[in-house]
Amino acid sequence: MTDDQPHYVYGVVPADTSPPPGLVGLRGAPVELIQRDGVAAIVSAIDPDQPLGKRADLLAYSRVIDTFATLGAVVPIRFGAVLPRRGDVVDGVLEPGDARFRELLSELSGRAQFNLRGRYDETAILTEVVTENPAIAELREQTRDQPEAASYYSRIRLGELVAQALAEKREAESLRILDALVPHTVAHNVRDGEGVDHLVDVAFLVDDERRDAFEQATESAARSLLGRATLRLIGPLAPYDFVTEE
Amino acid sequence: MTVETQRRRGNYVERPTPSGLAEVIDIILDKGLVIDAFVRVSLVGIELLTIDARIVIASVDTYLRFAAATNRLDLYEKGGRDLFEVLEGGMESGAKGKVSGALEGVKEKASETFKDAKEAVSGDEDEEDQGEEQKEGRQQRRPAKKTTQRRRREQA
Repeated sequence: MTDDQPHYVYGVVPADTSPPPGLVGLRGAPVELIQRDGVAAIVSAIDPDQPLGKRADLLAYSRVIDTFATLGAVVPIRFGAVLPRRGDVVDGVLEPGDARFRELLSELSGRAQFNLRGRYDETAILTEVVTENPAIAELREQTRDQPEAASYYSRIRLGELVAQALAEKREAESLRILDALVPHTVAHNVRDGEGVDHLVDVAFLVDDERRDAFEQATESAARSLLGRATLRLIGPLAPYDFVTEE
Repeated sequence: MTVETQRRRGNYVERPTPSGLAEVIDIILDKGLVIDAFVRVSLVGIELLTIDARIVIASVDTYLRFAAATNRLDLYEKGGRDLFEVLEGGMESGAKGKVSGALEGVKEKASETFKDAKEAVSGDEDEEDQGEEQKEGRQQRRPAKKTTQRRRREQA
C-alpha cells in the first residue's frame, strides 16, 4: 500500500469502529480504515486506469456501506470519490471535514434510513380516474377503438387529463401517508417519481427505538390502501439521503 | 402490545432486500456526502450516476402512454357486467377491495407494459449517451413530475 496509490473513499465512521475482517471493496481490494482524531475514512486502494461505474462497482460500494451501517453510524460519501494518493484522504477529506463529520456521526448515531415507495395498482387507479371524471370517460370512449393516427390529438388530451387527475390523487394521498408516518421519524426526504402508478417515494430517518412504531404505521398505511396501492419498505439502510448539504 | 409485536412484519407492506443494480442505483443515486471537488478525481464512467438515470420522457410521449393505459382498461369484462357499477357498489359499501378482485384478469396485462418499460430504462446504460442539454430540455416539459424535493428536520 504505497502512498502514491489512488484510494477510493466509501464513507466516514467513528474511529473506534472495527472494520469487519475480510471485507473487500471495489475490484476486490481489501477495505481499511484511515483514522484521524476520532473519525475514520473507509477506503480501499484502486487502479485509476479502469473506468468506474460498472455494475460490480456500484454493488461493491453499496455492500461496503451497508456492512458498516450494521455496525453503527456511517456517513456515506457519494459514489465516485477517488483520491489521487492515500495521504489525500487525511489532507483532503478527514481534516477539512472534521467538524461536519463529527456533527453528522453524532446526529446519525442510533438512527437508520428507510425508503418507502407507494405504487398504485394501475388498473384500480385508472378505473377510479375514468369513473370519477366524465370528460375522461368520454374521451376514452372516443379514442379507444379508433386508429392511432386518427385520434392522435384526442389521445394526447386524454393522457393530459389522466395525468392531471392522477397528480391530484397522488398529492392528496401522499400527504395523508406522510402525515401518518412523519411523527415517528426524525427527518424525511421526498424523492421525485413518475409514471402512471407513482404514489409516493420518500426516505425517512428513523430512531432505532421508534422503529417498531414506524413500521407499524407503515402497516396501517398499507392496509388502508389495500386493493388500490401497495407500499414497499426498504431498510434499515445507511443514511444516504440525510448527509447531503442543505 | 402483544398484537402490535406480532404485526411487526405484517403482510401489508412489502419488505424486499435490495440486491439488483436498479434497486441499488435507486438508493444511492445522487445521494451521499459530496467531498470537495478539487481533490476528487473523476474517472470516466462516473457520469452514469451524475445524471438522473430514471425515466425521462417528453410530455407528449407521457400523455400518449397514459392514454394508452387508460384505453387498455376493459371496464366491461366479466359476463357483461358493468364494472362502473361494481366500482360504485364497492365504494358505497366501503369495500373497495372488491374492485381489484373483479379486475384481476385485466390487471396483469395492464401493468406489465409499464413495469417492463421502467425496468428497461432504469437498467439502461444508454442513458449516459444522452446529452445533458437534451436531457434538461426534456425535463422541463415533463408533466406529471412534481418537484416535491422536500426536506425537513423535526429535531436537530
